[in-house]
Amino acid sequence: MIFFIGVLSITLLTGASGQISLGQGALMAVGGYASALPILHFTLNMWLAIPMAVFVSAIAGLLLGVTAARLSGPYLAGTTLVIALAIPSLANRFESVFSGDVGLSVDFGNAPSWLNKAIGEVALEKWQLIVTIIFATIALFFALNILDTRTGRSWRALRDHDIAASLQGVNVGRSRIFIFMVTSAFAGMAGALYGLRGIVSPSVYAVSLSLSLLTAAILGGIRNISGAFIGSVIVVFLPDWIGTVTSRFSVPTRISDYLPALITGLLLVVTVVLSPGGVSGAIHHKKHK
Amino acid sequence: MTLEISHLTTQFGSVTAVDDISFTAKASEITTVIGANGAGKSTLLRTISGLEKPTSGSIKWSGNELIGLKPEAIVRLGVAHVPEGHAVISELTVAENIAMGGLFRRRKNRADLDSASKEVYELFPRLEERHKQLAGTLSGGERQMLAIARALVARPQLLLLDEPSLGLAPLVVEQIIATVNDLCRKTGLSVLLVEQNAITALGVADQGVLLSLGKVVADRPAKELRADATLRAAYLGY
Amino acid sequence: MNLFLSAFFSGTARGAIYAIVALGLVLVWRGAGIINFAQMGQAMFTTYIASTLIISGKSYWLAFVIALIAGAMLGALIDILVMRPLSRVHRAEALNSPAMKAAIPVIASLGILGLLQALAGMFWAGQERGFPAPVAIEGLIVAGRKMPFTAFDIFTIAIVALVLVLTSLFFRKTGTGLAMRASALNQEVAKLSGIRTTQVRVLSWMISGATSSLAGLLITPTSNLSPTTLDLVLIIGFTAAVVGGLDSLPGAVIGGFIVGYVISFVNFYGTPEDIFLAILLLLLIVLLVRPSGVMGTKQVRRV
Repeated sequence: MIFFIGVLSITLLTGASGQISLGQGALMAVGGYASALPILHFTLNMWLAIPMAVFVSAIAGLLLGVTAARLSGPYLAGTTLVIALAIPSLANRFESVFSGDVGLSVDFGNAPSWLNKAIGEVALEKWQLIVTIIFATIALFFALNILDTRTGRSWRALRDHDIAASLQGVNVGRSRIFIFMVTSAFAGMAGALYGLRGIVSPSVYAVSLSLSLLTAAILGGIRNISGAFIGSVIVVFLPDWIGTVTSRFSVPTRISDYLPALITGLLLVVTVVLSPGGVSGAIHHKKHK
Repeated sequence: MTLEISHLTTQFGSVTAVDDISFTAKASEITTVIGANGAGKSTLLRTISGLEKPTSGSIKWSGNELIGLKPEAIVRLGVAHVPEGHAVISELTVAENIAMGGLFRRRKNRADLDSASKEVYELFPRLEERHKQLAGTLSGGERQMLAIARALVARPQLLLLDEPSLGLAPLVVEQIIATVNDLCRKTGLSVLLVEQNAITALGVADQGVLLSLGKVVADRPAKELRADATLRAAYLGY
Repeated sequence: MNLFLSAFFSGTARGAIYAIVALGLVLVWRGAGIINFAQMGQAMFTTYIASTLIISGKSYWLAFVIALIAGAMLGALIDILVMRPLSRVHRAEALNSPAMKAAIPVIASLGILGLLQALAGMFWAGQERGFPAPVAIEGLIVAGRKMPFTAFDIFTIAIVALVLVLTSLFFRKTGTGLAMRASALNQEVAKLSGIRTTQVRVLSWMISGATSSLAGLLITPTSNLSPTTLDLVLIIGFTAAVVGGLDSLPGAVIGGFIVGYVISFVNFYGTPEDIFLAILLLLLIVLLVRPSGVMGTKQVRRV
């Protein structure tokens, strides 16, 4: 679920507006730390901390956008990758604040008592799920809103014909920055929610996270939200599915450890070559044949 | 060694640039394809040289079917295309551009390539003067000469020339066209010359093919086209 | 003073390696229009192959040569199996925006990286290994004084210098080199000149593959070998290429050395964690101030 929100940020950024970022994981980190710190130090309520984190991430996105909006293609990809590496390392650099590699362990609080009374004791995981779904719905609402309105159309114009778009009065630079802000907000929300699981540390938000997000977005279909959902499902549950299969066949750990990564990488390459639109793209293709 | 084009059609999406064109360019002659802007002349040449894929039809050169071949293969059959506009590589020197034209023959016949290079420099002495300069620093006329030189160094049997006069001063154009004409008469090189400047083109050509909106409107000896005032007025504006 | 000298020499050696990495990236960029994010994954893979050979008793130099050949072949494989079908699909697919077209090969190369890392993990059980060097990597003593550089540093610099000279000669003086340059600069004119641009492209991938193998062989002795060791190097190589100018081969070399020195001095005078930040800053500064890089042509990537 949380992953889905993160993937949405990529779908919007890359699919809708054509800018490629390998650093969404880092933005999630921003969100994560931005919500964890207030909760730890100021015992801020989760419901306040998370939106605040979203806001902070948006600001981060603004900064990112200002530097990156002028870049495209490989320059953008490379720069965001560097950012993806640099930000988690900040946590190590300023250990006093961020507790370095160990990370911050945060308690987001349990289900409120009125809920417990109403429907019986809510386990921590269920509570986490509920919270996540609430935020996911909000995110989804916004995402749908964006994609289907004029804003979405101008983003798509930016992706496909940026020169034409600028001639039509779309301020390319500013729009790009705005897009970064919005997608960072999504990423930040996801990152903050990751904190629900209890720990905020650099390893949670490593580069592999950014890559997984991207993989999910592509596999599912970069152009639309259902694609983001499909992709998230695949990426999140694939290791488990593979695990069940390998345990049945007693595959040596050497292989089974790396099998998910292998299959993910393979899927990514195959998808990109055979059906760049991902799963949803393929379905769309079939429908309209 | 004739070029036979039958029922050639090239489309870009919904735009039909070349519409069911058929004509023959005879060996060792200058056949000029004229017509207004957008008539499909450049697309025709690009289809012949393999840069564009036609939707239907056939192009036979010396008995070989050219459709479906890659541009590199078509070059090896003796067809050289000098495209309009960016026909030289600005970041390479004059000498490198010319050498580039002969690369694919180097291994087979180094000696002939060397003499071909010498001949090309004799044809365009200005290029010899500037042979160490970057192509991007040449004047428009010199760049056109270089483009033609690049094509000639491979000793083609068919030269596809796309609007050599574009952007050049009349004197320079005359020079270039005269050189090409000379080459054809002396060495038997077949030339397919695409031009907007019909007067100049018809002045040297043997055969004229008039295109309008992708279709062949007239396919006659150049002399006749020159004399036909109504045709000229209707399609060429003079 | 000693610290400075150490930083300087270390920077030179590292810079040489980064120059090679950047060179490989620029080669594929110019030859195929792609930033190959999998490049260091290829290096990791071939270095593992070399390592396996050495462990089973073969000589260092044999392993060295085989690694280079393996690198070239891996590069060719990537072009033939992935990149070429990719460009064919492009023309047919509806995903036709220029931005997506540029993004897709990048994503593909990331996929390949993941694939290579997973395969390496499977074949070699993801163990971290050391990697031997043909000459000592510890201090060098000349005329009784301890030098601020090692024999391996000299070895590295010498090999890189040799490779640079050879590639320079190759591109400037040979027909194939000219064909590669021409194809990279203007593919259409190259095709019309009879140059087999597909062959040229595979060649770019092969040379790039071999050079990245070389980089892997030169880096691992002073660190270690695991499926993810070389990830950082890719970033550094990319930064070096951008600093020098993505379009320029000499630029890649210069960029490599610049980055090498920056990192070395940050390492010696600061802390290792600062390196990421330093690279990021360097990248941002270059992109903001002079996006075409030190040696690049003024044609900026985005107006």
